[in-house]
Amino acid sequence: MSAPLPKRLWQKFERSRVGRSIFRVGLPESNLERSQAMVSSFLLHMQPAKVNRHSLRASYSFGLGLISLYLFLILVGTGVLLMFYYVPSTERAYDTMKDLEFVVSAGLLMRNMHRWAAHLMVLFVLLHLCRVFYTGAYKRPREFNWVLGVGLFLLTLALSFTGYLLPWDQLAFWAITVGTSIASYAPYIGPKLRYLMLGGNVVGQEALIRFYALHVFVLPAVAGLMVAIHLWRVRKDGGLSHPNEPGDVVEQVDLGQLPTNKTYGLMELARGTTLQVGQNPDDEVFSWPHLVFRELLLFLIVMAVVLFLAIFWNAPLEEFANPIHPPNPAKAPWYFLGLQELVSYSAFWGGVVVPGLLVTALLLLPYIDRKRQGVGRWFARERRVAITIFTVCLLAAIAFTVIGTYFRGPNWGWQEPWKRPPPAAEGH
Amino acid sequence: MAEGSLRHFYGWFTVLGLLVGGLVVLGYYKDEYREWKDYQKKFIHEEMHRAATPQQLATAKRIPVEVRQILLPDLNRVDRCTTCHLAVEDPSYGGYPQPLAYHPLNEQHPPEKFGCTVCHRGQGRATTVADAHGNVPHWDEPMLPLQYIQASCGKCHQAADNPAAPELARGEQVFEESGCRGCHKLGGTGGILGPELDKVGAHRSADWLKKHFLKPAAVSPGSGMPPQKLSEANLEAITLFMLSQTGETAPGYYASMKVIPSAAEGQRLFTQKGCIGCHSVGGKGGDIGPALDDVGLRRAPEWIVRHFRDPQVVSPGTVMPQFGFTETEARALTDFLLHLRDQKVALSLPSFMDQVERGHDVYRKYGCAGCHGQDGKGGVPNPNAKTAQLVPDLIHVADGYTKDELKARILKGQHEINALDPKRPPPPLYMPGWGGTIKDAEVNDLVAYLISLKPKGEDAGF
Repeated sequence: MSAPLPKRLWQKFERSRVGRSIFRVGLPESNLERSQAMVSSFLLHMQPAKVNRHSLRASYSFGLGLISLYLFLILVGTGVLLMFYYVPSTERAYDTMKDLEFVVSAGLLMRNMHRWAAHLMVLFVLLHLCRVFYTGAYKRPREFNWVLGVGLFLLTLALSFTGYLLPWDQLAFWAITVGTSIASYAPYIGPKLRYLMLGGNVVGQEALIRFYALHVFVLPAVAGLMVAIHLWRVRKDGGLSHPNEPGDVVEQVDLGQLPTNKTYGLMELARGTTLQVGQNPDDEVFSWPHLVFRELLLFLIVMAVVLFLAIFWNAPLEEFANPIHPPNPAKAPWYFLGLQELVSYSAFWGGVVVPGLLVTALLLLPYIDRKRQGVGRWFARERRVAITIFTVCLLAAIAFTVIGTYFRGPNWGWQEPWKRPPPAAEGH
Repeated sequence: MAEGSLRHFYGWFTVLGLLVGGLVVLGYYKDEYREWKDYQKKFIHEEMHRAATPQQLATAKRIPVEVRQILLPDLNRVDRCTTCHLAVEDPSYGGYPQPLAYHPLNEQHPPEKFGCTVCHRGQGRATTVADAHGNVPHWDEPMLPLQYIQASCGKCHQAADNPAAPELARGEQVFEESGCRGCHKLGGTGGILGPELDKVGAHRSADWLKKHFLKPAAVSPGSGMPPQKLSEANLEAITLFMLSQTGETAPGYYASMKVIPSAAEGQRLFTQKGCIGCHSVGGKGGDIGPALDDVGLRRAPEWIVRHFRDPQVVSPGTVMPQFGFTETEARALTDFLLHLRDQKVALSLPSFMDQVERGHDVYRKYGCAGCHGQDGKGGVPNPNAKTAQLVPDLIHVADGYTKDELKARILKGQHEINALDPKRPPPPLYMPGWGGTIKDAEVNDLVAYLISLKPKGEDAGF
């Protein structure tokens, strides 16, 4: 049977002089070449040559981390294109939004993709965090990678929040006004913190330029670096968690305690078991094509979803920001509405204590919950206490967010969404 | 490694690749298809149809399909209206249906300096019909209906000065005569019972304003404003005038162009510069310079204009100083002098009025009629007021007050109005104190006017 046409054309190219200069290994035909393909390519070498079948199972990881990464890449790509037009000035930012919509080729499409990918990224990073929790994948030796992951979740929120201001419309202006005032409820440092974020006491040009600099440079650079470390640690910590992992990992022996009158083999200097112990070669498949192809397919799926959303739904753009006409109620971005709902009960408890405790608990989780039970399995029975606590907190967060989003009307009063009066014929 | 599983991958790659490819094509199509392109093609088609010579046909075929825009940096606007309205400057398209109609009156307001939206409103940056005409959510400035277009003249020009905007002038007249200023401030003059009106035209629609005049509480719940009895024509006129009050200020070039050299502007200058100190009109005034009653008969308009610019040029040796009038001011003053032959114009100069007439002007200026009725005749409802649920008329104030008491009453006001029924809400209208707003000379004139309202022949002690 002859190979399909695209494959034959590709092979012709890679055997040419130019092709051989670019690709160190061609399309692999043997297992040796499959390994070489992985380790000799810059883009592929961060992944292992062989991968556990369990890690490939879609029903285990759902590809949530990878989806988050793809969304991040789409955001970087569309974000750079948007930067070619955007001007971070209170006088011109809104006009550039209008120009993107009306006269820039594919401007609206790029803005829509950026907006929807940003919302999806917040959602998928959270889902990824939940997946890692429910499969116990934060346990030794992956504790620190969990901490990095929580940091990346917070960074994602910060990226989305700083981007929210940039269109300089009513939605942006009041969401940031509300969001930053939540920060000011922190005792002692709160008002100073808000002043630091806004460069003043109200949202204005200084706030816009700060949010812009954070959004297009500082936060993406930090997030990019942390993603790299996060991925590095995934490999160094033994790949994706799975049920048959060795109980411990290899540790170096304190060399000072060893007699020095002999030479040692590498095996003698290590304690514990290596990552490979307990892994059956029959459980492993070559990353090329099993992992790489799946990853590429997932990228196509993510791209299709984002394109679909961007083609059929426009990113919101309200009136030009007007500091003397607050909407009623003024709402923060959706992922902070649970927080805003809590703040409506008590600024100190809801705005400071509860979120502060939640973030601290998330960061310390792997150091508190240390038993190596139920790693690599969803909802393991041995972990029901931890799972119950986490689920209650998660459901509460979702409930408060839903209430804040759909059940709060003027003056933050209770209002069922199906009883909302139709929008007035004339605003103001 | 089974080839079968690879084939499985190829199937998915094909399906998803086609899906993403299809979506990219769809996204490209949606982006590339813009409704203005249809309008431009129709225009090109029309131009080709009109072409009489092969050269004209070739020119028409070369018209590019592209976004047209007028950049107005001083006005902070970009108007892309001409992307669809391609023939606004071509008189041969007079009478064509939109979007290809010709726009007359381009001489005073050249499109390249003024664009479109500064008068017509709407969303200049937009390139779809719905968005550009502005009747879309989240856009505050929909297009002004053509029947109210004269409101835009009032954004820059004095309403009364503009012969091209008679409806605007009439609207201002209705506004002043209805006594709106009794409760509302406009341009810093007026009462405090209602909101200021300086920007009302920027955020209220014509429909809202009309409803508001006829039944204020229907659109502004809790409003104490009495419903206005306005004829249909007056209602439209005052609505138009309100729409002209947008609070916008014209920058640089536009501010310098906004004075129309009209007789009304000339009259203001004539009074302001104290011309009457040397010249006389109708026998009143100084006698250093000649009387001006018939100057329009004696001198050609051009002579008068040059005289204002530099008196020595046309009357060597004259003692009249050079005031440094601009060309526009000189033309306005000339226009006024030419109108002096008209008795009515001459008599409206303040120096010709007696105290009662001036007082009547004050009564109008501060909108007293808004509550006390035209000429103090009353009749304005004030629900639950003890005085027959009406604001009291002023015809007989001479019987109850001395001049000083009346003056004190105007300056101090009366904030507590006795209620007919204490259980019902208090009367919405009350007398604000005008001290600090009204000038001392004006109160004296006003008091004289109010005292004069008492019908002749009626005795104080009937």
